Amino acid sequence: MITIEHLAKEFRVPVAATKKAGGLAWPGRSASSRIVHAVRDVSFDAPEGRITGLLGPNGAGKTTTLRMLAGLITPDAGHMSVDGIDVVTQAGAALARMGMLSDARGLYPRLTARENIVYYGRLQGMEPDAANARAEQLAQMFEMNALLDRRTDGFSQGERMKTALARALVHDPANIVLDEPTNGLDVLATRALRESLRWLRSPEGGAKCIVFSTHIMQEVERLCDGVVVVSHGRTVASGTVDDLLEQTGQTDFEEAFVRLAFSADERAHHEVAGPT
Amino acid sequence: MNKFRMALTVYRKEIVDALRDRRTLLTVLASSVLMGPAVLVAISALVATLESRAELRQVYVVGMEHAPSLKNFFERQTYTVKAAPADFEAQLRGAKLADPVVVIPKGFEAALLRGEAPVVEVVVDSANQRSQAGAARIERLLSGFGRERATLTLALRGVSVDLLEPLQVEDRDLASTQTRATQITGMLPYFVMMAVLYGALNAALDTTAGERERGSLEPLLMNPLDRWVLVLGKWAAVASVGMLIAVLSSLSFLPGQWVLRSDTLAAMFQYGLREASMFLVVLLPFAAAVSAVLMAVAIRCKTFKEAQASATVVMLAASLLPLINVFSLGSESPWYLWVPALAQNVLMTHVLKGEPLGAAQIAVPLLVCVALTVLGVWFVARSLRSAAVR
Repeated sequence: MITIEHLAKEFRVPVAATKKAGGLAWPGRSASSRIVHAVRDVSFDAPEGRITGLLGPNGAGKTTTLRMLAGLITPDAGHMSVDGIDVVTQAGAALARMGMLSDARGLYPRLTARENIVYYGRLQGMEPDAANARAEQLAQMFEMNALLDRRTDGFSQGERMKTALARALVHDPANIVLDEPTNGLDVLATRALRESLRWLRSPEGGAKCIVFSTHIMQEVERLCDGVVVVSHGRTVASGTVDDLLEQTGQTDFEEAFVRLAFSADERAHHEVAGPT
Repeated sequence: MNKFRMALTVYRKEIVDALRDRRTLLTVLASSVLMGPAVLVAISALVATLESRAELRQVYVVGMEHAPSLKNFFERQTYTVKAAPADFEAQLRGAKLADPVVVIPKGFEAALLRGEAPVVEVVVDSANQRSQAGAARIERLLSGFGRERATLTLALRGVSVDLLEPLQVEDRDLASTQTRATQITGMLPYFVMMAVLYGALNAALDTTAGERERGSLEPLLMNPLDRWVLVLGKWAAVASVGMLIAVLSSLSFLPGQWVLRSDTLAAMFQYGLREASMFLVVLLPFAAAVSAVLMAVAIRCKTFKEAQASATVVMLAASLLPLINVFSLGSESPWYLWVPALAQNVLMTHVLKGEPLGAAQIAVPLLVCVALTVLGVWFVARSLRSAAVR
């Protein structure tokens, strides 16, 4: 169970240099910086045994929200809890209850898939034998037995994705958070991932609480039990796919999403500017 | 205890990762292990040629036929007179001729008899170091001839030879054999330090900027362990690689000694297990500090390449600071010990000179290294979170 209430985060961005090479930012020099509201007001509940889709256009604040949930960024305001544990004050305990597949999912190329997975198990406090057994179990589930003892160096996108997912789930967390998991995956790999997530949601799979961020509505339609639409750093709507269709009076989910996520002005602007 | 086990897990993984980077590791290891013998062979070959030149006792002359008395003197000093090649100037410039050339003008003998002090040239090229080295020897030989002539002339007139030398000059060299040897072996500490630096460089960059570039830092931080535990494990792994290089390169001078071709140099260059362990006392804290500093520099960089560029500043500082000791020609100031890299160079030079290291001499650089390590690890731990998401 993941609860997020009125989350907000702003960043100071230097104006003159939009892309600074060294990453050296001087927060004191406010004269040449402007404030970007990455997240203004995001709230949602993700219960057990359900897949909650976090749907929003690029730059809506999905990744920032999930990074705050992972304790990588401290929020300016709001409250987050995982199974009742506060994320900000008890980061370690909260992280132990979550399996996170972040936007960045780099593996160690000189280690085998098994070593990559077991390393994370050990960092989660598992004994070597337990971590190894779990790696084999996950390999069975994601059909990657043949990959397990190969170095991840030459892995395809799909193989990398499976390894990263197995790595995130090694400690069998009750809550699973996935940031754009289908990015760069082909049709078959996407299907396999969907199947795995459905199984993890089912009572046999552990009735996990799954949060899934994406900007692709077809995935939400096919997979999610609940949808949270995020736009310009705010939660603008939430409910099931049918709820949202009803709320906007549309029959097409894409049209419903566009109406929820973008203002009338933005839609008009795009229609004029875009190719007709 | 649990934190210690976590740090150990990180350490093990980083070590396995570093050891599997075979190509980089082999290059660094091979160069650090082979460096000792290679440098010693080069030095001993140089010394051996200089020695053999001196032993040959030969002198290259142009126009020997003009000076039969000088030829007679050379031969009485058991020197072999050789006619210089016609293009000796070009050969000296091109460093093909390794001996200075004596040029005797026409009418030398007659001028000598008339007491007109004829001019004898000793031709060297100061850029040609080998000919330069022989020049002093030839000049001594020629002034010996001059003194003999003067003595004879005075004796013929019944004047005492002692009048010519109202005072006597005698050299007394206080330097021990080992101290003199450091004039030649002085660059060894420098090579060892470079080996340690380059050994730690790759591992330090890989665990920080490399981790960012691969996109594995963000997921790594989503594990419930303290950041300083993570950084401590990483630092310990990098420092271990640096220390391994330090041990190997310090020990490489032991077998390197066996290949010394020059007996004089072998006698002067005293490097046994005691010296090797003193080197390590100086180098191990240095390897630890350098690892932390390199990691701190690299954590701000998004890519390995960018980190290499930033690390150049550290490498440059570490290679230039020891030169202060080289250029100060042996007069040390107390503040040298407070400067990392310079202090290590100073101490290792002391070890090569066969001088004992005092407790304070070891303690000050050790303190500096510990401070740098703590600072570097703290900085990396602090920057880790913002580095992961940027």
